[in-house]
Amino acid sequence: MAHRIGRRKNVKKGFQFTLMVVGASGLGRTTFINTLCDADVVPKRECDEPEMAHVEEAIKIKPYTVELDEDGVKISLTVVDTPGFGDMIDNEYCFQEILGYLERQYDDILSEESRIKRNPRFRDNRVHALLYFITPTGHSLREIDIELMKRLSPRINVIPVVGKADTFTPTELADFKKRVMEDIEHHNIPIYNFPYDPEEDDEETIDENSELRSLLPFALIGCEEEIMVNGRKVRGRQYPWGIVEVDNTQHCDFAKLRFALLSSHLQDLKEITHDYLYENYRTEKLSRSAENLSD
Amino acid sequence: MVSTQAGAGIGIANLPNQRHAIASKKGSNYTILLCGESGLGKTTFINTLFTTTIKTPKTYKRRFNNTAEKTVEIEIIRAELEEKQFGVKLTVVDTPGFGDYTNNRDSWMPIIDFIDDQHESYMRQDQQPKRQELSDMRVHCCLYFIRPTGHTLKPLDIEVMKRLGTRVNLIPVIAKADTLTPTDLHKFKKRILEVIAAQNIQCYTFPLESDDEASTKRNMNIMAAMPFSVIGSTDDVVTVDGRTVKGRQYSWGVAEVENEDHCDFKKLRQLLIRTHMLDLIHSTEETHYENYRRAQMETRKIGEPKVKTVTNPKWKEEEEALRKRFTEQVRLEENRFRSWEQQLIAERDRLNKDLEAEHSHIKALEAELESMQVGLSPKQRK
Repeated sequence: MAHRIGRRKNVKKGFQFTLMVVGASGLGRTTFINTLCDADVVPKRECDEPEMAHVEEAIKIKPYTVELDEDGVKISLTVVDTPGFGDMIDNEYCFQEILGYLERQYDDILSEESRIKRNPRFRDNRVHALLYFITPTGHSLREIDIELMKRLSPRINVIPVVGKADTFTPTELADFKKRVMEDIEHHNIPIYNFPYDPEEDDEETIDENSELRSLLPFALIGCEEEIMVNGRKVRGRQYPWGIVEVDNTQHCDFAKLRFALLSSHLQDLKEITHDYLYENYRTEKLSRSAENLSD
Repeated sequence: MVSTQAGAGIGIANLPNQRHAIASKKGSNYTILLCGESGLGKTTFINTLFTTTIKTPKTYKRRFNNTAEKTVEIEIIRAELEEKQFGVKLTVVDTPGFGDYTNNRDSWMPIIDFIDDQHESYMRQDQQPKRQELSDMRVHCCLYFIRPTGHTLKPLDIEVMKRLGTRVNLIPVIAKADTLTPTDLHKFKKRILEVIAAQNIQCYTFPLESDDEASTKRNMNIMAAMPFSVIGSTDDVVTVDGRTVKGRQYSWGVAEVENEDHCDFKKLRQLLIRTHMLDLIHSTEETHYENYRRAQMETRKIGEPKVKTVTNPKWKEEEEALRKRFTEQVRLEENRFRSWEQQLIAERDRLNKDLEAEHSHIKALEAELESMQVGLSPKQRK
């Protein structure tokens, strides 16, 4: 309920939201970001010289900020892209890079909070949600998927999504989603699953959250071009056998995810980041320094 | 050269028919290696290719019983196929685990070793006195499944394909091609070919020129389609215009396996089975096997076993881990001994101190006694 009250208060000022996107290249990450913002935020990947194709590129962390207008509400959205994740032959060090970035943002807040004279123009760069792109193998989670989500979920709200979901027929998609959720439960990975309180919350909230929870992991298709379908312009991909529409909820979950991230659950994600994830980090860090001092 | 006239032939012209009769009786050995990450449709593809379930699809019930073993396995499936009285002993080799882990360093070793081992095994058998019943699992062609990212080949793909290309007939395949729109596919193919050329990856090629024009044209068509885009499906679905085909049914349409506008499956099947199976088999025996044999013969004598370097990377990791543990244990023990030694020294010093204390105490008493005696004696003398 808190998120609705918050919205009314801040509508004039607008919101700030930071989203990180992680996934192997070729899963539609960049296209998703551009589709989400309906603009060319992230430039298309420049493929290097073929002679250099064998050179492994380490992961890079690249934030982009864009101003959006959602039904009259201003949102300053920062999207953090992570090109190079999972692209090397040995990917053991990807996790630490991302974790390091997330913790550095927390460290900045921590040191700012402890200042006597605080900077009024201090910018909060904490990341509020992480969209993890699962490779659409059709089987189940891969080792790198499990490792990443496990390692990062103590520091950030992890929301698993399936990239390039137009690889699946409807039955295949349903089976894959089911297996992925089974894997997540089996490995005890605490993802953001649109929590609600069956006793405290009203029916509308419960329904809304249950529906979103049942869609996990969100099936995504991205497309920046517009094509004509039956006389109207749609964002879609044209195959010889048909057209997949990005904004059609029968084809994929893009529209629902976008609404959840930028409208209905924006506040909740921020609150969990601040009240829970950041607090945990703060406690751990301060206890560690206390231990170090007493040694 | 003596040429015979038509009508007075000696029967040479009938040799091809004879050869056909012999070949069809003997049947043929055909080994295909499928290489690629899991989830790229390798199993579906092979079942689609031979229109029968060569390999059963994966079951998921036991996936939580996985041990910590992170290896690449070599899975061999054998089938005997027959069509119009021509039998094929088909062997399909799958490589589960390849490319599936966080760290895929050296994961191609088991695959490379397998290919070399088949050449080795054939070579050894050939050197035996009795060589009638040869078991021949030399790989005639390797299908490398590329993930349809739409970008380019990954470093892992390049590393493996380089090594495969020099040992086996390598055919690159774009898996799950129904994920790419025609424009994306075209760009992707172009880029892959650029990388293959720039990185000197040897892919399978065959002579294009043929006796009749139709064959030549067909050959050129096939070569032009490389890397082949594939869609696999063993299910029958109904298209929008009412045809029943093998395909994949999406909410937005049906992607057909045998529709050449949708993918290159037909061309690849042509290559693998209809027209170039013989060439694949021959080039393996004549080129790749001979290359291997020559390389081995240059350094080894007949009958000498191959020097095996056991460089399984997972074993290297274990060795590292054990060595670390060992050094750690040694360090702990040394620390323990050192602190024990220090304790003994401290104890000795303490005891020495006590001894000294006692000693000086005794001395003091002795001095006191003496002084008392001195003071006493004169009295006694009185």
